[in-house]
Amino acid sequence: MSAIASGFVHPTVGFYALALVLPFLPGKAWKWLLLIPPVVAIWSVMTIEPGLYGQASWLGQTLLLGRVDKMSLIFAQVFAVMSLIGMVYALHVDDKLQHIMACVYVGGAFGCTFAGDFLTLFIFWEFMSIGSTFLIWLARNERSTKAGFRYFMYHTIGGLFLLIGLLMRYKAVGNFDFDHVVPTQMMAYDWMILLGFCVNAAVVPLHAWLPDAYPEGTVTGSVFMCAFTTKTAVYVLLRGFHGVEALAIAGTVMCVYGVLYACIENNARRILSYHIVSQVGYMVAGIGIGTAMTMNGAVAHAYAHILYKGLLFMGAGCLLYAAGTTKLDKLGGLVHRMPWVMALYMVAALSISGMPLFNGFISKTMTIVGAAEAHRTWLAVCMEIAAVGTFLSVGIKLPYFAFWGKPANNTMELKPIPVNMYVGMAMGAVLCIAQGVYPDMLYRYLPFEMEHAYHPWTVWHVLQSLLLLGFSGLAFYITRDIITPHAKTNLDFDFFYRLIGRGALALVSKPLAWIDDRWTEAYRVAGLGGLLTLARGTVWFDTKGIDTVVDGSAYTVQNVGVLSAKVQTGRLQEYLGLAAALGLGIFALVWYLA
Amino acid sequence: MSLFGMLLNWLRGKTCILAALFFLALAGLVGANVFIRPHEVEFVYDAYPGFWALFGLVGGLAMVIIMKKIVQPMISRGDDYYERNS
Repeated sequence: MSAIASGFVHPTVGFYALALVLPFLPGKAWKWLLLIPPVVAIWSVMTIEPGLYGQASWLGQTLLLGRVDKMSLIFAQVFAVMSLIGMVYALHVDDKLQHIMACVYVGGAFGCTFAGDFLTLFIFWEFMSIGSTFLIWLARNERSTKAGFRYFMYHTIGGLFLLIGLLMRYKAVGNFDFDHVVPTQMMAYDWMILLGFCVNAAVVPLHAWLPDAYPEGTVTGSVFMCAFTTKTAVYVLLRGFHGVEALAIAGTVMCVYGVLYACIENNARRILSYHIVSQVGYMVAGIGIGTAMTMNGAVAHAYAHILYKGLLFMGAGCLLYAAGTTKLDKLGGLVHRMPWVMALYMVAALSISGMPLFNGFISKTMTIVGAAEAHRTWLAVCMEIAAVGTFLSVGIKLPYFAFWGKPANNTMELKPIPVNMYVGMAMGAVLCIAQGVYPDMLYRYLPFEMEHAYHPWTVWHVLQSLLLLGFSGLAFYITRDIITPHAKTNLDFDFFYRLIGRGALALVSKPLAWIDDRWTEAYRVAGLGGLLTLARGTVWFDTKGIDTVVDGSAYTVQNVGVLSAKVQTGRLQEYLGLAAALGLGIFALVWYLA
Repeated sequence: MSLFGMLLNWLRGKTCILAALFFLALAGLVGANVFIRPHEVEFVYDAYPGFWALFGLVGGLAMVIIMKKIVQPMISRGDDYYERNS
């Protein structure tokens, strides 16, 4: 892979190089190496000039690894910053595999961002899927193991939609170019690709993998995951499908749906996960509405969201690390023992709520005002309702029941939190406030030219935000006894996914097994009988004296028998592996011939 | 306990004062809204003072009451529902 061409150091290179050498490094000093790929990535994206870099040939196709323009750069920039914060937060972790998988995952996100064609995109897309699955598994408990399998299966299906779409598209148009599709001319394959993207963007009702998996990831792994998967999907949606009306509606539904579920959820990391669905909804809606202002709003919100959501997951991660749980009914009264965790968490909580002085205020309002200016009034109103719900759940409910709520709790055993975790959080908090106070820090990188500049810091915008959030706070005050979280499982669409899963299992284990049994029976009766007849014939032939020839073929038959016995082990995972290998072979062959 | 922690713990005992300050601030905001109006009206009713205050309050109350009192009883199961059923 010639990722370095004409002076562009592709950020993925650093992460994958680290992932490759990390297993061989002894001692503890390797931890400092974790900071190098993010720093290189930040340097790279801040200094590179827009252009096309790094072409490679693979399977007769030309892959474009480095499409550097304003759109890819701003996403890469925030990915780079977040990777540094995430690595600082994870510095204390001794488990090398966690760092390796974080590198595979983050490197994949950069690969997708700079990908100039669908094939490159698909490869890195799958790398992300693998890396993130391990970040869940490496929590190393039963729940995370199961959640990881569900997550992987779901993303494999999403990846297959993308693969089917891009192959169909290749058949129709003869290339893998990844460019904007005119919404009125979308073909079936475009919809297939869009569907694949929507799985990763957690578009309702394809979203349930997110609140299922993210709460089960490792303390540090979920910090990475909350930043990259959905935002990479937002980036590819923006690049390929802006202006698609379905996204405007779907995004607004996501906004509201996420906050409604978060309102009744008990697990802190699951509340935050539902708020990813909700916040990504603003971005998807902005992309769907498709004016320069809403799309810039989507990009700005993605940037701000990565910073504050990372910080929120870091705060919840501190709770999990110290107290061993993120269930709100088990927490409470801890503020005096974790004051700085609370304070840093609150910076993020106010950011996500869109409070003036914090970065959500300058990004969220841009999308909402943009929607209103595009005369999408109802979409804008629904987004305001989601803003109310966001402040209720993340801004007040979560910190209230985790840190305040009950009388001072001095008995709960708390593990001391490593300094690096605080440093990571402080970095995020400083950026959240800095962007809120100096919006131009973020706005100057926005990719689309707007008719008139958007100014968030007007007296009216500030007053409106304070009114909206202040009175949502009053609503919490009035209903604080009703909103108290309960230890419950709230059924979501994953209930149906599981039904489908069980249905498929039943299909395999009952009717298909029945067919297999009958087939075996038929084979035993007819096939074996035939073979025996043949054997008798062979015996007859043998006795006629052509010993040398028959001996040779007997050995061959024996060898083939051993081989086929090996293939038919009855172990599902080996069948799957074999099928995958065969599939890849066929895929390569088709490609070669096409 | 750190100094910051002690400060926060001390604040716990002052909820009445904090609540009073909060209500005062809310009243101040609505008061300000009488004089400060939107430069561009998003939709018809937000031209009236106090609209967004009402929107936040009613929206918040409706969301909590509907979700916790009506929706959650319908869609919630035991905490270990999926563990027992998979």
